[in-house]
Amino acid sequence: MVLETELLPFREWLLWGPFVWLLVMGSLAVAGLFFGSLVAVIRHGPAAGLAATGRVLAAAVGDLFCMSPRRVWALAWLAVKDSLRRRVVVVFIVFLLLLLFAGWFLDPSSDHPLRLYISFVLTATSYLVLLLMLFLSALSLPNDLKNKTLHTVVTKPVRPSEIVLGRMLGFVVLGTTLLALMSAISYVFVVRGLAHSHEVVQASLAAVDPRQDADQGAVPLRGESTRVNGHRHDVRIDRKGQGLLEMTQDHYHRVARRQDGEKTVYEVGQPEGMLVARVPVYGKLRFMDSQRHVAERGTNVGDEWAYRSYIQGGSLAAGVWSFEGVTPTAFSDNLQLEMTLGVFRTYKGDIEQGVAGVLLLRNPKTGLTVEAKVFKSREFSTDVHRLPRKITPTAAYALQPEKDPDGRIKYVRKPLGADAKAQYDLFDDLTDDGQLEVWLQCLDPEQYFGVAQPDLYLRARDASFALNFVKGYFGIWMQMVLVIGFGVMFSTFLTGPVAMLATVGMLIGGFFRGYMIELALGQTWGGGPVESLIRILTQDNVVSDLPEGIRTTVAQTVDSVLQRGLWVVAQLLPSFGDYDCASYVAYGFNVPGNWIAERGLTALGFAVALFVVGYFFLKTREVAR
Amino acid sequence: MPNDVIIETRNLTKVYRDFWGRQKVRALKALDLEVRRGEIFGLLGPNGSGKTTTIKLILGLLFPTSGQVLCFGRDATDVTKNERIGYLPEESYLYKFLSAEETLDFYGRLFKMSRRLRRQRTSELINLVGLQGAKKRQLREYSKGMTRRIGLAQALINDPELILLDEPTTGLDPLGIRDMKQMILDLREQGKTVVMCSHRLDDVEDVCDRIAILYDGELKELGRVDSLLKVRDVTEIHARGLSEKTQQEIRQLIQREGGELVAMGNPTMTLEQLFLDIIAESEAHPGRRVVRKEGAA
Repeated sequence: MVLETELLPFREWLLWGPFVWLLVMGSLAVAGLFFGSLVAVIRHGPAAGLAATGRVLAAAVGDLFCMSPRRVWALAWLAVKDSLRRRVVVVFIVFLLLLLFAGWFLDPSSDHPLRLYISFVLTATSYLVLLLMLFLSALSLPNDLKNKTLHTVVTKPVRPSEIVLGRMLGFVVLGTTLLALMSAISYVFVVRGLAHSHEVVQASLAAVDPRQDADQGAVPLRGESTRVNGHRHDVRIDRKGQGLLEMTQDHYHRVARRQDGEKTVYEVGQPEGMLVARVPVYGKLRFMDSQRHVAERGTNVGDEWAYRSYIQGGSLAAGVWSFEGVTPTAFSDNLQLEMTLGVFRTYKGDIEQGVAGVLLLRNPKTGLTVEAKVFKSREFSTDVHRLPRKITPTAAYALQPEKDPDGRIKYVRKPLGADAKAQYDLFDDLTDDGQLEVWLQCLDPEQYFGVAQPDLYLRARDASFALNFVKGYFGIWMQMVLVIGFGVMFSTFLTGPVAMLATVGMLIGGFFRGYMIELALGQTWGGGPVESLIRILTQDNVVSDLPEGIRTTVAQTVDSVLQRGLWVVAQLLPSFGDYDCASYVAYGFNVPGNWIAERGLTALGFAVALFVVGYFFLKTREVAR
Repeated sequence: MPNDVIIETRNLTKVYRDFWGRQKVRALKALDLEVRRGEIFGLLGPNGSGKTTTIKLILGLLFPTSGQVLCFGRDATDVTKNERIGYLPEESYLYKFLSAEETLDFYGRLFKMSRRLRRQRTSELINLVGLQGAKKRQLREYSKGMTRRIGLAQALINDPELILLDEPTTGLDPLGIRDMKQMILDLREQGKTVVMCSHRLDDVEDVCDRIAILYDGELKELGRVDSLLKVRDVTEIHARGLSEKTQQEIRQLIQREGGELVAMGNPTMTLEQLFLDIIAESEAHPGRRVVRKEGAA
């Protein structure tokens, strides 16, 4: 699975996440205060205007901090009741219909059926729920204002903050219920949809060793299974009659032989290895060049997508992952190492054959290095290597860092001498305080392995797939909270359709947030808006500097002001796609705890901000017209 | 502010503006009013005279352009004042998807009432407005008269001290109007203050203690109903047992002849007459408080 941005550890994130939130909220408060006072001064004159601003601020303290849970809950209940009246149930029925007819367009012979099923249910749910919530949240308050039903509410001792929070809470409660129901149904749909079994085609069974007779029994057999759901498996059965329908479409089946009178029956189990939530332990990746000097990156093979960096084959170049927490308690008795390598071939070679590589394990403290496994790469799929606790290496030596005369660090191979053993213990010899280095080298000259940090990981004990599935829905839940927050906030001062458009606008803007930040930080070619405009008009290229002079100075000064504004605007937009964790679930990876915590807190930060902004808009508007 | 003044408006002005801040209409011009505890106060005026605007300003649904409204001594935008207020809007703007019981329960929750109290008040009020048979039905199925009744019930859910009624008899049949008026009078009996606005003159005449007549956003007349309607320059005598002869010179003869003087006083005109007079005067002299003839009021 591709992870282009590295997820920060939660503690590290806590150092700056809340700080950015406070900074943005502070800027927003200052801007709000300034524009609010300005409007009040224009309307009522300086003294009365400032007094009015003061009154609003004083009231805000009470309104925001002395809300009554009972009233908020009553208003939330009203929002739920109102939504139910609007036939929210229809959405649920549409969802059920979609699942009912999903069989028509979900291809069971897909290479990765789980990905297909998961992305289908998550996409269907998110489109339905998000659209529904967009309509409900943006139209609800304006409708109440239009029908004047809000008049009988605000003339009770209800604070504007309670109205805004009540609405948000009501929709969140409704959406959560809807999502919970949908996730339960989807789970059953996915599990049942992928459940299948095969039969072993007995005529196909033959002894692995052609010199043995398959009919004699008690010999290892190979053959194939029947075709179900568009695929068949290779079958391997050991001499005891136990075996596997081997990995195809991301799953395998266990098979067992038994005698039923005269007949030999092969019992095939349900698919395994598909509904998983792998817990990858990622390491820090660094590179060695062809002379085993420490390098910043690997070789650049000219790929525009700079995600992967390449390791030159037939040289000492290596990618080195440093892991922590590699202990017997975390990994039981063996180490499962999984990797997805990109392969760059400078010559075609035998395209059926993978490119050869070697995995080295190194103790970062002692420098002891063993060649754990030589392998052939499998492109476009996850390569699984189980390393036993006791490793008998093809070679063992020490790799020690030394400084070159030119100051560069180089790892030098040294013999072990008397320390050499025939067998090494993974945890006792090769790790130090849970630290382990995995070195990956490409053996075929002129071929390259492309690697990125998340491409190679150690697989710890799997997490629960059901729980991971729920986490996938939690991602949609967070997106829903954002939609509701924006919808309700905009609806406090805009009419329904305009509030809806504004919400959609914010979400679309959120998709471009990354680019906006790049623009704001001046990381794009061609300069800021004014400079770019000059380049367009003068048909100047984006790379060369503009000629020095007053025109350029003015343009760049204006740009720097605009860029600061752009930065603030970008911070106000939610990076909507970041809350989507469907790919984790679909690719069978556990959604990490820090992902949940960081995204959850960010969404909460947005919700709080939107609530406060919504409150001020409702407080300062006239309910009647 | 003395304790018995419940509502006070000071120089209250409201100007409606369009999106660009341009003045559209001046709905209320420098209104000074006081409503005292325990009275039924009527706001009277033709359509567009500023009655509903005044009520909305008192409730904080609108913000004054200038001037101030104090309600129980607090600013109108202070929501805590609403603890003691009940409001029946012009049309009962209630949630049509709720039943009568749910409606009253919902508004009771907004007053942080306990479940027991809510149940008790709901049942009392449903009996009071005579909706026992329809309490489980959704309001969308209600007739206009029933909607007014449930509207009044929600306004009374918190047993308010001050009740604002915007056109309370609109949409009611004669029987309903009679009941509504009786309920308003009963509220006064219970010591509550009622402010109502209406353009139905007979309603105002029947129930109000004091009235203010607004025209084009200006206060034209303010006072006790009985005093406003009194025609002071005319005396009415009801006499019995006078001879044909003495009837020619009634005033002198009653005393001289020893006839029985049954009644003597000032006749009253109808409120309708007063109202039409004021409107005619306002149109003749725009922007001026009505100057009534010497001894006329």
